[in-house]
Amino acid sequence: MDTILNKPQRRFLAAISSLFLFIISFNSAFAADAEKLFKQNCAVCHSLGKNKLAGPGLEGIGTRVPDDAWLAKWIKNNKEVLKSGDAYAKKIVGENNGAEMSVFTHLSDEEIAALVTYIKNPPQPKEATTAKSPAAGEEKAEEKGINPLAILIGVIAFLIVIIGVLRGVAHSLKNIQNERMGLPGEEAIGPWREFKMWVVNHKTTTGVIVLFILGTLLTEGWYALKAIGVYEEYHPTQPIAFSHKVHAGDNAINCQYCHSGVEKSKTAGIPSVNICMNCHKGISSGPNTGTTEIAKIYEAAGWDPDKAEYSKPQKPIQWVKVHNLQDFVYFSHQQHVKVGKQDCANCHGDIKEMTTAKQVSPLTMGWCIDCHRKTEVPGMKDNPYYESLHKKLAEKYKGQPITVDKMGGIECGKCHY
Amino acid sequence: MATKKYWKGLEELNNSPEFVQKVNNEFAEQIPVEEFLNDSNLTVNNGTNRRDFLKFLGFSVAAASLAACEAPVNKAIPYVVKPEEITPGEANWYASTYFDGRDYASILVKTREGRPIKIAGNNLSKVSNGATNARIQASVLSLYDSSRLTGPLANGNPATWSSVDSEIGDKLAAITAKGGAIRVLSSTIISPSTKAVIDAFIAKYPTTKHITYDAISYAAITNANAQTFGQGIIPTYRFENAQVVVSIGADFLANWIEDFSVGYTKNRKVSKEKAEMSKHYHFESNLSLTGANADERIPVKVSEQAKVVVNLHNEIAKIVGVATLPSSELPYNAIITKIAKELVANKGKSLVISGSNDTNVQLIINEINTLIGSYGKTIDMESPSYINQSNDKAFADLVTDMAAGKVDALITYNTNPVYTAPAALKFADAYNKAGLRISFADRADETASMANYICPDHHYLESWNDFNPRKAHYSLSQPTIRPLFAEENSGTRQAQDTLLKWAGNSNDYYTFIQKIWAERVFPMQGKYMSFTEFWNNSLHDGAIEVGKGTEMPAGEKEEKPKVEVAKGAEKDKKEEEKTTSTVNLKQAAREINALEGGEFELALYEKTGIGNGNQANNPWLQELPDPISRITWDNYVTMSPIDMKKNGYYLMERQDREASVVNVTVDGTTVELPVIPQPGQAPGTIGIAVGYGRDKAGKLSTQTGGVIGKNVFPFSQLVNGTLSYAAFDVKVESAGKTTETAGTQVHHTLMGREIVKETNLENYKKNPKSGNPDEMLVTHSGPKKAVTIDLWDEHEKLGHRWGMTIDLNSCFGCGACVVSCTAENNVAVVGKDQVMKTREMHWLRIDRYYSSDMNKEIAKEEGVGAIDMYLDMENPSAANPKVVFQPMLCQHCNHAPCENVCPVLATNHSSDGLNIMTYNRCVGTRYCANNCPYKVRRFNWFNYNGNSDFTFNPTQDELGRMVLNPDVVVRSRGVMEKCSMCIQRIQAGKLEAKKAERKLIDGEIITACAEACPTNAIIFGDLNDPDSAVSKLRKQEEEGRNYYILEEVGTKPTLSYLTKVRNCEETIESGKKTEESHSEKAEA
Repeated sequence: MDTILNKPQRRFLAAISSLFLFIISFNSAFAADAEKLFKQNCAVCHSLGKNKLAGPGLEGIGTRVPDDAWLAKWIKNNKEVLKSGDAYAKKIVGENNGAEMSVFTHLSDEEIAALVTYIKNPPQPKEATTAKSPAAGEEKAEEKGINPLAILIGVIAFLIVIIGVLRGVAHSLKNIQNERMGLPGEEAIGPWREFKMWVVNHKTTTGVIVLFILGTLLTEGWYALKAIGVYEEYHPTQPIAFSHKVHAGDNAINCQYCHSGVEKSKTAGIPSVNICMNCHKGISSGPNTGTTEIAKIYEAAGWDPDKAEYSKPQKPIQWVKVHNLQDFVYFSHQQHVKVGKQDCANCHGDIKEMTTAKQVSPLTMGWCIDCHRKTEVPGMKDNPYYESLHKKLAEKYKGQPITVDKMGGIECGKCHY
Repeated sequence: MATKKYWKGLEELNNSPEFVQKVNNEFAEQIPVEEFLNDSNLTVNNGTNRRDFLKFLGFSVAAASLAACEAPVNKAIPYVVKPEEITPGEANWYASTYFDGRDYASILVKTREGRPIKIAGNNLSKVSNGATNARIQASVLSLYDSSRLTGPLANGNPATWSSVDSEIGDKLAAITAKGGAIRVLSSTIISPSTKAVIDAFIAKYPTTKHITYDAISYAAITNANAQTFGQGIIPTYRFENAQVVVSIGADFLANWIEDFSVGYTKNRKVSKEKAEMSKHYHFESNLSLTGANADERIPVKVSEQAKVVVNLHNEIAKIVGVATLPSSELPYNAIITKIAKELVANKGKSLVISGSNDTNVQLIINEINTLIGSYGKTIDMESPSYINQSNDKAFADLVTDMAAGKVDALITYNTNPVYTAPAALKFADAYNKAGLRISFADRADETASMANYICPDHHYLESWNDFNPRKAHYSLSQPTIRPLFAEENSGTRQAQDTLLKWAGNSNDYYTFIQKIWAERVFPMQGKYMSFTEFWNNSLHDGAIEVGKGTEMPAGEKEEKPKVEVAKGAEKDKKEEEKTTSTVNLKQAAREINALEGGEFELALYEKTGIGNGNQANNPWLQELPDPISRITWDNYVTMSPIDMKKNGYYLMERQDREASVVNVTVDGTTVELPVIPQPGQAPGTIGIAVGYGRDKAGKLSTQTGGVIGKNVFPFSQLVNGTLSYAAFDVKVESAGKTTETAGTQVHHTLMGREIVKETNLENYKKNPKSGNPDEMLVTHSGPKKAVTIDLWDEHEKLGHRWGMTIDLNSCFGCGACVVSCTAENNVAVVGKDQVMKTREMHWLRIDRYYSSDMNKEIAKEEGVGAIDMYLDMENPSAANPKVVFQPMLCQHCNHAPCENVCPVLATNHSSDGLNIMTYNRCVGTRYCANNCPYKVRRFNWFNYNGNSDFTFNPTQDELGRMVLNPDVVVRSRGVMEKCSMCIQRIQAGKLEAKKAERKLIDGEIITACAEACPTNAIIFGDLNDPDSAVSKLRKQEEEGRNYYILEEVGTKPTLSYLTKVRNCEETIESGKKTEESHSEKAEA
């Protein structure tokens, strides 16, 4: 998705929003904990807004429930509250078609108290809204977007036409003048011949222009060749118009909820349909596409939404792979995310803002090595695995940061085997 | 400047018209452009000129570059419902069991995304002790064999299970109704549940009898034990308790009853602290793997092997003071007397075995072992082994009955008698007379293709089963993949399920096994209280041992091999009870002494790769070089070079691959095979491997251009009720032509170089560095140890430093590591033609060296010139050479000669001490291979994964491709490859430790070769970790057996070897003339 926002602007926005986030998160470490708890335990079924996921949206919960104590009890063990014959409990279960909620007896009372505070006073849906308008603008711009090269070609063509017309005009004028003065009419010189004459008369200028064009072509050609096999900005159309923005952005679902392999396998993994169905059993309509796209999940899973049962044949979804690495490269997500403690966004960009997933990094070897040269290994000091190596490296590179390459991270055999 | 004329030749000087014409032609010879283009069918008839060729060329370049710009669209298709235990990208391991009627091993199966890709031994098993062999390692590829049947066949036509079941059901019912005979013929079954299934089948069809027949039978041992002890069993041989081992023709390390290498090697490992090892004498006619590892090997004729047993008995009897048997004159009496003395001196610590399947021989062997007190010590009669239960007599009777039309239905399970039966039995003719022929074979093999119905069984990796390989030992196998060919009403179905269905039992086999275990196995143990707990733990561990003293619950009996002959013999014994057993022995000895050999005697043998041929369609096994002859893709006649010279056969000296072809005739059956010289083969004998010549094993034979080798099972005979794999009168005639064999080792001996170091035990006891003197180099400051001289700076020792030490005393050359490496690293199969061009791709090879009659000292004494001396060194001693095996793989040199000649830095050194090879960087100059002193680099001459000449390569088969290890890249044409020290395993192991935030545990990372090694000859670990096994071993052996190959050239290998120690009297110390060689080197 091309964008009219240039990179510095984007970075500025990103910087602002992260600063904003930083301030919010620093306001209270407590809130951060509660947020984490919420994401881990609740976010799968409840949104903080009005929209209903598997369970009801939690906006205005403070005014709906009898009191905080009730809410805490309900969160901890809703089955018990129901058993006690609580009227309000029965009512909400009825409102939600008898959907069952999990029990959270493993949470401590303090944690539940923090959760209650958090869901009653959720953080304002901040940059999501601010970012929304430019993002929308982006999409529109893209639709109308005109290739700058096309503009350039158009301008040049226009100029050539103008020159041609003007030449014709000049020629006619000269002829008219000659005629008036009784001179013989000038023979019309073809534009090609005139061009040649101009070239002969302006050798230096021509030379400079030719050199310039050649140089441009060569450099462009070089970069074009280098770009072969590099698919930065690749964002293929997917069989289902899945929006990362809606899931990871608006609903703040943790990346690992779906990409569960990221800390335990070389591949992060594309979620199987049953993961989708965990939530979409209850959510049959989305904010962007209504029911059409979610119906495709049902078709894949063999779910009959009318009868609410898996009764149809299953059809695996054929997603189009966005990030393709050559077969001769071994890349491991767990190495980078679990051990190297890298954030998903470092390579995948701000997925939370993407509707269709896009490759933002070139995924070239130069890009890999560049990062390995700059990045220190977080957690190396505390990990007993690295204990002796770290000691030796610290001795060797006194004071210098110990980056990945210093511990052998740019050797061929680390990725190619 | 004076103008001089230079000319290239007289033609130019004379400027002849021919020369002028030639000069005008750009190419001296016509480039075969037309041939090329016509060949590719690009043009029709009207020839092509050079201009068109260039057009084509230009077009293809343009097309290629255009294609390169096109972004490939890759699909990612996740599960609809992901199985909970699968994480894509991570391996799962399952405990299972391999048993094919021949080899037994409790194994662990590595699966990726639900596909088995690798097999490792299960250390929890007390029967197989974590050992696997080449055949078991390769069996994972047999799963993905596209020659397997994908559904039942009725009279050769695809059918459905429902129709097959009903048709067969009707027919069986009709046969039972009229009282007709139904026979089930199978190889040995050690599964209690399968036996119960057959019992259930017999209950439904009472006219059924079950007959056990193995292609390679050990019935003579069962028969002899029945006669001697009244127990028709095969005992467990405890080689670990034997200090003196005498084998007469038993290849017990690789191909005899079970795998005894683990126990045997326990007494072969030496160190300074324990400078003791067992003594191993070996009598045989072919040079076998076990014979090659013996301390003293005595080549004897096939007919003499039995006589050696008699004479050995007599010598022992003389010492012990019991009656002797009639003996015959043999030229080996001196050594037999010596052995007899040693055996008696080591009473209770010695073992005598024979590979013969002649009951007479085994009776005398039993007597010998009784005299030397082996029973209860080295032979465990309390733990009978159940994995060979062949009843040859019953099989022969079955064939007679079939020929007489007395068998109305024959069901064959896991056996292929049309291929394996002796010619004289005429099994195929008899089989055609059996009324209803049903086979459970997984393919239309030699037998199954003649059957009315083929009901294809699952592969063992798709099956549930249980096993009872030895008394009190049980194991389970579980499916590690969904059946590859599983369709509703079609596809494959486990034979036991099929039998249960026919028997009218509604249980599936899984439930059935659980029932049997709950009834029989669970009560035998006391560890677990509930059956579920017991079952889950047994399944998890793969193998269990139940209490030895535990009585079988009342009403149940231990699964004992049913040996009818044995029972008969027991009766005979009872009748003869009053007479002593020596009468039987005397008769046996007399019969043995009456054996006469003709001009040539034949001993059939099994190869470590192909075995009895049930996996003949497996390209990994076909390409595995025979450990002795180093020949691939063939069987052949092995003959003593002395006999070959006499008969004028081609001696294949030096680099020659050309072999004479001979016709071998036994009892009117003739087979045409190449003959190769086999040093150490007893003169007057020949050997041929069984398991080859399978014309219906699958498509490998058509892909490789014809049936591989020749079938020599027809040469086996039924003698006195047991199958004999020897023939005493064989005619060998020249066929008057030659053929080529694909051997992988052209140099047979060490040519005087000290690559393998060896010594004998006596010298080792005196000096642990015996045979391994330091390599010294003369420098300005006097002689220095070669290892201390360094041209370059040493590498930093920061993190890990991976190293490996290989104990030449424990390595016996089986080749399990080679197949394991092939499976782990996606090594390509190249086929016979390419092997002949020395282009095999194995990263790890096991070099086999013979001793030669020539060395530098002899040359000096006899005044032989240097050229003749080296030529003679290439020829191994013909009579009885000493043999050494040496696994050879990339030595991961610290100063690697390959690294500094690579123009593109595709091979370089990693910080953890590995010599790494980057395929995507390699441009294929092959400089590195030329500069490698160890010759371990392999070049991809072709695109083995796409070229139509290599369709046998698993990578070219849609099913076969599933065996590939997804963590290792499949190499393309034009790149070099070599041992990576299983870098993918190193990286994965390190990552596990990093993730768990702990230090790496020694032994956690293990290379594929070390994993497969049954005898722990390969020790791998971190050299920078002083507590690792490999560091400790090197430290311990620093002033002992540890050495580096070619350490004098300064490559500083990371791999080291331990000197081979042989328990023989002959001095075989390498590096004896060190002083002299030092001065030579200094001069050089």
